[in-house]
Amino acid sequence: MFFTLIQKELRTIILSPKFVGTFAVCSILILLSVVAGIREYKTMESRYAANSGLVEQELRQQTSWGRMSTKIYRAPDPMQIFVSGLDYDIGRWSYVANNRGVKLNNSAYSDEPIYAIFRFIDLAFIVQFILTLFAIMFTFNAVSGEREDGTLRLVFSNSVSKARYLIAKCIGSWLGLVIPICIPILLGILLILILGVPLTIEHWIRISLFFILSLLLFTCFIVMGVFISSLTRRSAVSFLTSLVAWVILVMIIPRAGVMAAGNIIRIPRVAEIESLISGFSQERWEEFYAGMDQRLSMDQSGRPEFDDDKLWALMQMEDSLRQGIEQEINQYDSRLREDLRQRKGAQEALAMTLSRISPASAFQLGAMSLAGTDIKMKLRYEEATNEYRNRFCQFIDQKQKETGDVGGIMMAISIDDTGESHMSIGGNRSKDQLDVSAVPRFSPPVISLAEAVTPVVIDFGLLILFTFLLFAGAFVSFLRYDVR
Amino acid sequence: MFKIIVEKEIRDLIGSTKFILTFAACAFLIIITFYVGAARFKLDKSYFEASRAENLRTTESLKDWNELDETRIFLPPRPLESLVSGVSNDIGRTAIIRGRGDITTEDSRYNEDPIFAIFRFLDLEFIFKVLLSLFAVLLGYDSISGEKERGTLRLSFANAVPRQTYIIGKLAGSFAALTVSILIAIAIGVLILPMMGISLTADEWIKLSLIIMAGLLYAGVFLTLSIFISSLTCRTANSFLILLVIWVMCIHIIPGVSVLMAGRSVDVPSSDEIMHKKSSLSAQLLNEFDEGMRSFTYNNPDSGPEALSKSLNSHLDSLNEVRDTKLQSFSARLEEDRNNRQKLQERFAFSLARLSPVTSLTLATSYLAGTSLGLKNYFTDEARNYQTQFGDFIKEKTGRNLGGGLKLRTSSTCSGDAGSNDDEDKPAEIDPGELPNFNYSDYSLSESIHAAATDIGILMFFNLIFFAGACVAFTRYDVR
Repeated sequence: MFFTLIQKELRTIILSPKFVGTFAVCSILILLSVVAGIREYKTMESRYAANSGLVEQELRQQTSWGRMSTKIYRAPDPMQIFVSGLDYDIGRWSYVANNRGVKLNNSAYSDEPIYAIFRFIDLAFIVQFILTLFAIMFTFNAVSGEREDGTLRLVFSNSVSKARYLIAKCIGSWLGLVIPICIPILLGILLILILGVPLTIEHWIRISLFFILSLLLFTCFIVMGVFISSLTRRSAVSFLTSLVAWVILVMIIPRAGVMAAGNIIRIPRVAEIESLISGFSQERWEEFYAGMDQRLSMDQSGRPEFDDDKLWALMQMEDSLRQGIEQEINQYDSRLREDLRQRKGAQEALAMTLSRISPASAFQLGAMSLAGTDIKMKLRYEEATNEYRNRFCQFIDQKQKETGDVGGIMMAISIDDTGESHMSIGGNRSKDQLDVSAVPRFSPPVISLAEAVTPVVIDFGLLILFTFLLFAGAFVSFLRYDVR
Repeated sequence: MFKIIVEKEIRDLIGSTKFILTFAACAFLIIITFYVGAARFKLDKSYFEASRAENLRTTESLKDWNELDETRIFLPPRPLESLVSGVSNDIGRTAIIRGRGDITTEDSRYNEDPIFAIFRFLDLEFIFKVLLSLFAVLLGYDSISGEKERGTLRLSFANAVPRQTYIIGKLAGSFAALTVSILIAIAIGVLILPMMGISLTADEWIKLSLIIMAGLLYAGVFLTLSIFISSLTCRTANSFLILLVIWVMCIHIIPGVSVLMAGRSVDVPSSDEIMHKKSSLSAQLLNEFDEGMRSFTYNNPDSGPEALSKSLNSHLDSLNEVRDTKLQSFSARLEEDRNNRQKLQERFAFSLARLSPVTSLTLATSYLAGTSLGLKNYFTDEARNYQTQFGDFIKEKTGRNLGGGLKLRTSSTCSGDAGSNDDEDKPAEIDPGELPNFNYSDYSLSESIHAAATDIGILMFFNLIFFAGACVAFTRYDVR
């Protein structure tokens, strides 16, 4: 009887007119998102290669160790095909220089706002918005519809336990909806293989986990549809209730959670922090220049003779003082940004906790963690860039000491044979290109499997819990359901 | 008879469970959106004031105008921006002003606070786009096919009711029920604004009214479409399914695909390419600047540091002027080319995307709220104008042109004269209040209306088309 009920449910779903329509739409959307994702990834890959080449070229064109700077770019990741996450919202590159803090600038959406108006549709979006809606559409009348049609009474005229019936309903609905959806997903994966997207074993594991997470969310909404249907006697009411529940869970709670966190924990703007840093920097440099005035304005009798050795010693002293100031400014910068990061971390943690009341949020956050396009992506890049900046600056400092090229200018007063004095300005920068082969290069941070999967455990757990609770609710309410 | 049909339709709708549930959800969300929008505006304003205050404090700490090399300006938050976000959270809201040179905007909200980018802000445009359209579909999908299934259509036509009158009465009644109910919710939401201390100018009130009108027109499109589809089918399940597929296509597929197709068809140079070209030219010009600097000779170093400083700064100014002019002209050419291609891409994208009424709603509301695609360039232009004012102000105060990165300052203590009176040589302290203010002027009412007119017209057109379609389809409908 149990398998008969499952078969009956399967047949009802597959033979219904709405199945063809929804399956067609889902398939088109899934394949479209994969194709668009692959094309976008390949475009980003070629842009990244071009930008890396340009950075290398710019590095080679520099003529002064003292003024050397470079840029780093965020590398594309194949997982973005499935879950774009924050990839288009976060800055794509950062300057790396001694006199500049690390900051990711120019997000894809800020550079090309047309894509911000109509955002990219990725697979995670389709699962979260479209598949869950279709799950509701197929299950809202699972119980109440059968009751209206009179078939529920007929089924229970046989010796069928309510528990078995409900479980068979859920399994039948699940099989009838999940198996067809797997077809376009498998086609999508085939496309990825055919089009030569480079995926490692770790990527495949993460993709598999993403699909399992998607299935869990889909299951959660299937069970929710059955639950709501078993609370009502009319399918029209269960449909509306399911729709309202869908709107609240998928659209409202996620946003509300984040906005509530934004209001509860307030953090200063980056512009404020940068003004503080700018002000501090100005004050220190003014002190330095005022001190330099004093150091150079000694009485004639006390002024050192400006022969070459003494001049070199003076320049070295000024340079070490300058480096001290730069270090102080960098430390202040790091302190403020670290403080900002910690406060932001607290706000983000609260936002994610509040929004995880909704299974759709749990799915979104879990999917982004698996793809490596979550909030930590920005932090990862900032940390990696800071570490690179330290190595880069240490190398440059070393080179400056070796070559004496501090990137500055030198003013010299000379007296010619006629006794007239002349002043000239020059620099000790090389006019030839520098040998930059030994300059440290940036390696984009790679997210390990453990780093990607560990944060998702909680989201898996939540989805399983939600599904279990909804099923328990459906079970309890169906046991009390009047099947007549 | 027409009046009776309209009344009947309104009564049927308002008394139905689906209306109560969906209206309750929509109304709640509209009111929440206004509240959240107002709260967010106040928060953004406080951040804006704090950033400006910090920037001013930095200026106050300076001892003379020569020390001021740059300042920051910020895109101010506006009330309508909190109700229709558009691209305002995606573009940079801070510009660093250096007196000359390129201006780039940075610190977009979503880049700064990526947590808000995960789920995005709840705004009126989103409520209209997703919920109001769904509400309209739910009201209209069974208006004809549902009556047929229930048998009431046959009963209605047992009377001498002209079909045209019936269908027009249905449409009018449905539209009235939808509009009045939504307007009640919006009116409550609008009242929240002054209650929370948000005051709008007269122009902003007119813009808000037009945004609401665009939203209602958009809902009307889906309502008339629903009734049209309902009068093509005999079963409510079929009409709802067709409408849901159309809804998904209109909201998610057509706009996204159009933009992707436009992106592939029109090649726009990336900002990275532009930056690299500018950077290459800048490096080349810097070498020329260095050569020019080395060529400076001063034949009278004994005349004192001020004369030396003046002569050198004049030489550097002229070198900077040449370098800056070349860079500006090259930069302007590159940006113009990029902007032209972007505009072409946008035109192509929107031509395709306007097949969906969602595009017209999005564009119309963003034009009216001042958060459209043009906001980034508009802010950059305003910043450029301010940069000219700032540069002129500093030149007036110090006699030097900003930019160039190199200046020479001398101090009387360098002269080595013992006993010089430092107080006489000390420059006067600066008054930051003298600095020109950055006054951001929003799009004027006429500019906004002009920009939104096309899309409002398109929404009206869709309404007419589906209205006509419903009328024609119903005249052939089998009412038995």
